[in-house]
Amino acid sequence: MSDEPKKGITRREMLKWTAAAGTGLVIGASGLAPVFNWMEQKGEARRTHENAESETVAFHGVHQAGIVTPQQTFVYLVAFDLSTDRRSEVIALLKNWTVLAEKFAKGRLEKNPGNQWLPPKDTGESLDLGPARLTVTFGFGPSFFINDGKDRYGLAAKKPKHLKDIPRMPREAIDASKSGGDVCVQVCADDKQVAFHAVRGLINEAVGKATVRWMQEGFLSVPDGKTPRNLFGFKDGTANRSLTSRSAQETHLWCGSDEPGWMRGGTYMAYRKIQMFLDVWDRSSIKDQEDTFGRKKESGAPYGKKHEHDPVDLQRMPADAHVRLARSTGQQMLRRGYSYTDGIDPKTGAINAGLLFISFQRNPDQQFIPMLRLLSDKDALNEYTKHIASAMFACPRGIKKGEYIAQALFEG
Amino acid sequence: MLKKSTLSAFMAMILAVSMLAACNGDKNSAGQTKQEKTEQKASSANDEIKKGASQMQAINKQLLDALEAKDTAKIKALGKSINDKWLSFENAVRDRFPLLYTKVEKYEQPIFAESTMAHPDLTGMRENARNLQQALDELKTAKATAQKASELLDKAVKNYKDYVLEQADHLVEATAKFTAAVKAGDIEKAKQLYPDARVYYERIEPIAESFGDLDPKIDARIDDVDDPAKWTGFHRLEKALWKDHSLKGQAKYADQLLSDVKDLKAKIQTLKLKPEAMVAGAMELLNEAAISKVTGEEERYSHIDLVDLSANVEGSQAVYQAVIPALNEHNKALLQELDTRFRKMEEKMLTYKSNGRYIDYTKLSKDQVRELSQALSELSKSMSQTAEILG
Ligand code: HEM
Ligand SMILES: [Cu+2]
Repeated sequence: MSDEPKKGITRREMLKWTAAAGTGLVIGASGLAPVFNWMEQKGEARRTHENAESETVAFHGVHQAGIVTPQQTFVYLVAFDLSTDRRSEVIALLKNWTVLAEKFAKGRLEKNPGNQWLPPKDTGESLDLGPARLTVTFGFGPSFFINDGKDRYGLAAKKPKHLKDIPRMPREAIDASKSGGDVCVQVCADDKQVAFHAVRGLINEAVGKATVRWMQEGFLSVPDGKTPRNLFGFKDGTANRSLTSRSAQETHLWCGSDEPGWMRGGTYMAYRKIQMFLDVWDRSSIKDQEDTFGRKKESGAPYGKKHEHDPVDLQRMPADAHVRLARSTGQQMLRRGYSYTDGIDPKTGAINAGLLFISFQRNPDQQFIPMLRLLSDKDALNEYTKHIASAMFACPRGIKKGEYIAQALFEG
Repeated sequence: MLKKSTLSAFMAMILAVSMLAACNGDKNSAGQTKQEKTEQKASSANDEIKKGASQMQAINKQLLDALEAKDTAKIKALGKSINDKWLSFENAVRDRFPLLYTKVEKYEQPIFAESTMAHPDLTGMRENARNLQQALDELKTAKATAQKASELLDKAVKNYKDYVLEQADHLVEATAKFTAAVKAGDIEKAKQLYPDARVYYERIEPIAESFGDLDPKIDARIDDVDDPAKWTGFHRLEKALWKDHSLKGQAKYADQLLSDVKDLKAKIQTLKLKPEAMVAGAMELLNEAAISKVTGEEERYSHIDLVDLSANVEGSQAVYQAVIPALNEHNKALLQELDTRFRKMEEKMLTYKSNGRYIDYTKLSKDQVRELSQALSELSKSMSQTAEILG
């Protein structure tokens, strides 16, 4: 990262933004502030780290960081399978991961041993790069609780109510080896190298206790104060605005007293890796593209309206438009996806790219699965997309000082 | 790995020794009552060890009888009992008598491994069982003596050096047999003998690598050499046997290989080994296994990569066993961990044997390859911490 202002932004402006983003983030993430403004993402905050505080997302809080945290520029999503049968080893791993995650969120590195014959403790590539608003978010898959019909760690009784694999959907082509997993770790940061450093550290820590099942990386550039765009060139995340208030988050996002204690204040993460056929899309007319979503491409305005955030009039949209179908279910969720690219298809030479769809909701059975089914069935978008991986994870409530992640699950 | 500057290695040695001495010093300054308690604990541990050793000897005696009677079923059952017995008190032994521990392991492990085979090698087992009986005798009368730290490290190096020399002897023998078959034009026999020679080389490969040009001459793969016409060594003959199916013109490579291997042995005899190099060599073996063996790149014609892989692991394990006494002073938990990991690895490798031989690399499924890689990476993470003894 360079300290030079970019894109004609003055240094003073940059510092101002950085500071503003900083306070907003810290409070928002700890769940104390009633409101975080999704739309006030400060893309430029990442351009400096001379004020590390403003680049730090609070690690402890009522909710885990990396959920309502304004989206950072990069994500690594890593699913692990546990290779140990022992509950004590799982706890040890979660403890060590918690310590590491906090360290990395503060932009600190592991201390190296004095003995020069030993390998270094920290891999070192994030030295001097700052915290870059790094967050680590943990989740547990259904197989963490029950695997091959076995209650692996004696935790089956505390399995969250709605935790199960996403059922089979029409048209999907799911690769099982890139789906599911016992534990999921989402690492986000404004600097890819900083994010990778954390991922690498967490993976190294897991050796002997858990193996990486799959790993995905994504990116998303957020223009200042504006909604980011996906690889189809459309604003993606407009509807998240309805989840900015604390009360809306309580209603749609955070689990309540109907869940086991460790999940209260937690949420469910739904994940779909969705391939997007860019070449087909790029040959489609603007009209076809806009009909697909029921929104205008440049402004993001719903059909029949002028501005992105004007109220949506479903009747004005084609019957199979993505937004119309999604909204017709009456459900809301927090979408926090990232784009991905992955070289080319060796057979066709077409670009492999798409969306790592990530959404958070308190009841996937009600909010997510029926919508996914409807979309898989009818969505105009299906002509340009294919779902290729899938997973559902239960993300525990936030970590209090002195706790390790999901401590209440094991000791509650 | 051995090319590090002699000076810095030497400095580290001095440091290592003084650090170890400091550790011992600490222990001696413990309070009187604490010391008494420790002694009580020690004497009950001694009793446990003596009892275990006697019981193990009794089973081993039965095994010797069964071997005499060539009663395979009984031999297999007794091999397992010996191992179970040993597992029940080996931790106490490792803790109190680390040197004897490695001695017992040296004979016990092959006995157990053979007993799991469909057709155990009875002669080899008898030899090991006799030696085991002696080692257990020593264990029964053993007294814990405070070893000086410097002695522990020197002893580790010496033990490992003995191992390397022994392997080099075997390497020369096995290579002589293999090259004789090549020169006689006996393809089938040469194919049978090739893996035997490879094992001894792969166990001590890093040592060979320290002699600059010898490793490439003996072990280069075709893409390691600039000029394929100058390619020599094991893999040159491997290609002739498995790919060209002809030994025409190979006699000169056979002669060259045997002479290079003899050269290696001679050089090893005069080798001054340092603890740093020994520990680094153990890591190098595991890295080798993880990079070129588990991927099936090393033995691309014969596909005996599993033979090499297990030899690499065994070579690394030899270092582990040599450093047990020294490591015992530093990090007992790590010892325990390494013991488990090597055992797990050994058990895993046994499942890839059929009729006493490792199966072809190409028969492994993707999942099996991944599983092996994973086990290697666990092992090498733990093994990398043995450098603690270098302080
Ligand atoms: C590659 C796949 C997808 C793309 C490119 C995509 C893109 C979009 C776009 C451009 C919008 C309109 C702007 C906005 O409100 O954010 C939107 C809205 C939405 N999408 Fe998707 N989406 C995809 C998959 C999905 C999936 C799998 C789901 C859920 C199962 C979903 C749920 C929603 C919801 C709930 C809305 C907001 C509707 C509203 O209330 O206005 N999307 N999506
Ligand atoms: Cu080799």
